[in-house]
Amino acid sequence: MMAHVPHLRSRGFWAEAWGRYRRRPLAMAALSFVGFLVAIAILAPAIAGTKPVLCRYKGRLSMPCLGYFNRSWEPAVFARDRFRGTYPRNLAEKDPDSWAIWPLFFQDPYRAVRADEWPGMPANPAMDEGRPSGRNPFGTDQAGVDVLAKMVHGTTVALLVGFVSMGIAGTIGIVVGALGGYFGGWVDTLTSRITEIVMCVPTLVLILAIIAILEKPTIWHTMAIIGATGWTGIARLTRGEFLRLKTSEFVMAARAAGAGPVRIMLRHILPNALAPVLVPITFGIAAAILVESSLSFLGFGPPPPTASWGSILNDARSNYRMWWLVVFPGTAIFLTVLAYNLVGEGLHEATDPRLREARK
Amino acid sequence: MATYLLRRVLLGVLTLLVITCFVYGLARAMPGTPLTVQLGEDPSRKLNPEDQERLRRIYGLDKPWYMGYAQWLGNVVRGDLGRSITRKQPVTSLIAERIGPTFLVSGTALVLIWLLAIPLGLYASARSGHADERTASLLLYVLYSFPTFVAALFLQVIFSVWLRGTPWELPLFGMTDLPADAPWPARWADIARHMILPVTCQTYVALAYDSRFIKANMEEVLRQDYIRTARAKGVGPWRVLVRHAFRNTLIPLVTLLGLSLPALVGGSVIIEQIFTWPGMGRLFFESIRERDYPTIMGLTLMFSVLTLLGQLLADVLYCAVDPRVSVE
Repeated sequence: MMAHVPHLRSRGFWAEAWGRYRRRPLAMAALSFVGFLVAIAILAPAIAGTKPVLCRYKGRLSMPCLGYFNRSWEPAVFARDRFRGTYPRNLAEKDPDSWAIWPLFFQDPYRAVRADEWPGMPANPAMDEGRPSGRNPFGTDQAGVDVLAKMVHGTTVALLVGFVSMGIAGTIGIVVGALGGYFGGWVDTLTSRITEIVMCVPTLVLILAIIAILEKPTIWHTMAIIGATGWTGIARLTRGEFLRLKTSEFVMAARAAGAGPVRIMLRHILPNALAPVLVPITFGIAAAILVESSLSFLGFGPPPPTASWGSILNDARSNYRMWWLVVFPGTAIFLTVLAYNLVGEGLHEATDPRLREARK
Repeated sequence: MATYLLRRVLLGVLTLLVITCFVYGLARAMPGTPLTVQLGEDPSRKLNPEDQERLRRIYGLDKPWYMGYAQWLGNVVRGDLGRSITRKQPVTSLIAERIGPTFLVSGTALVLIWLLAIPLGLYASARSGHADERTASLLLYVLYSFPTFVAALFLQVIFSVWLRGTPWELPLFGMTDLPADAPWPARWADIARHMILPVTCQTYVALAYDSRFIKANMEEVLRQDYIRTARAKGVGPWRVLVRHAFRNTLIPLVTLLGLSLPALVGGSVIIEQIFTWPGMGRLFFESIRERDYPTIMGLTLMFSVLTLLGQLLADVLYCAVDPRVSVE
């Protein structure tokens, strides 16, 4: 007879790691900063823009601000009625019964706001006149486009670059490293050689050459290239982890139970190797943001309509008296890179058992 | 050891072959040739089709890329890196011209980094856990996350706009404003003034990284039993730190030094570009933009050789200084 034992589960590895992570104030601050950036990126059209967040026009509710994410998401009725991107006046003139909820900050990331576009608001200053002011807190660029609006919309690019390119790099790195580490032998020789070759090819040549070859490089191409070149460190680490874990007892037990190599790699080894591999991926996100912004700064970024922090810095190079084109986007890049590095550092300290022992 | 070295060298040659072939293919796949990119913008300098065809033949651009690669490889084996198409001079003399300025900046930076990083790292491990060490380490970490090109731009704004007209104003671009026949003390003083900002930019990140690295290694060593023994027998705290602990962290430092070899002569593309410093990184960037295949290839070959050599050097030094590690 068995007595009824209350079902007690010990906390899992990730719950425990989270518990340790939470106790680090800097790491938590960094994580909340990343969360803040995600919120800005998602809400960008509602924060800064010239298109209504929500409006009722000719009896129909719509959200023209979604056009900032994708041109085709802007309802066609506004193009038919010749709004040409200027909403406030047109809405009132073409449908007196219309109403609209406007973004917090009436400035466009792609063009200068004209005089009286918003009743009573003057045009944005252009050239080197646009120093920071109450109307344009971060100033305006040579063409008169508001820098704050550009930066708010550029957040999407910075975040996407980090996540997408490291998603690609992480996948390639884990697959290559896992194959090499698990199978060993000629597979390992081959994958190690490939890793070494990719490490030795100058990244800049690779990126610049591929961008030059593409007819119309978009931000997605840049992300794919950064991902395709940034996986070597992850592969090396994964290989090491797989080498270490494949001889452990639980793998042997799984093999004895009849699990195939794919199942062993995915279900048994990978979850145990994930924590150490996540650390370089987090640092990689910071590196990817850096690479993208330096490419944009050198003039090899995504084509003009896409707002990127690095391309604002590029505009600054022609005239340093427009210091606001350097200071604000530069600080944004710095803070983002710092935040990701701190998150990576916190993750490292929360998941690495060796460091925990050292602390005692 | 000999067989290990031989194997590494053979593998290295194989790696070099793959890299150069790949980069050559990529370079040739970029739209435009040195002839069209250089002359294309200016209609008055447009070549007539016959001349263009003749030049294409001279430079071997009429052949498919693999033929061109084979030709380049054949010349390299005979010790000839070819001639730059856009600059009309041998690639070797072009590199010789640019390597000096790059070395000037990165060499100075390297010396500064080690001179500052070692005391900083030792200080941090001596005061580990104290408030001052924590502040210093946090500052270094923040500095480490500060992107170099953003720092370069910030410095340029500070020194060009905010400090203009003050004694602290520093030159922003190029290596020297004086003509080549200026007396050498004035010339060198001018070059030194031009070097301050690029050297600062190349120093601070590595300084932050290296001092953290030293501290991490020191912490590992300070936990060892022989440190406790040394302390127990009455060795002073600084002596323990320097003579007993630091000496044993030299091994990973040697590795780090080996891996910084390519950067020493490769320079930094973006820093040299921002400060228009006439070095290797800038040459690399320009040669890519001009589609100057021989220069791109010469530089790629050099960087790859140095990277592989640095890795080999690091591994060999590791075995040399630590008898517990064997090359197998």
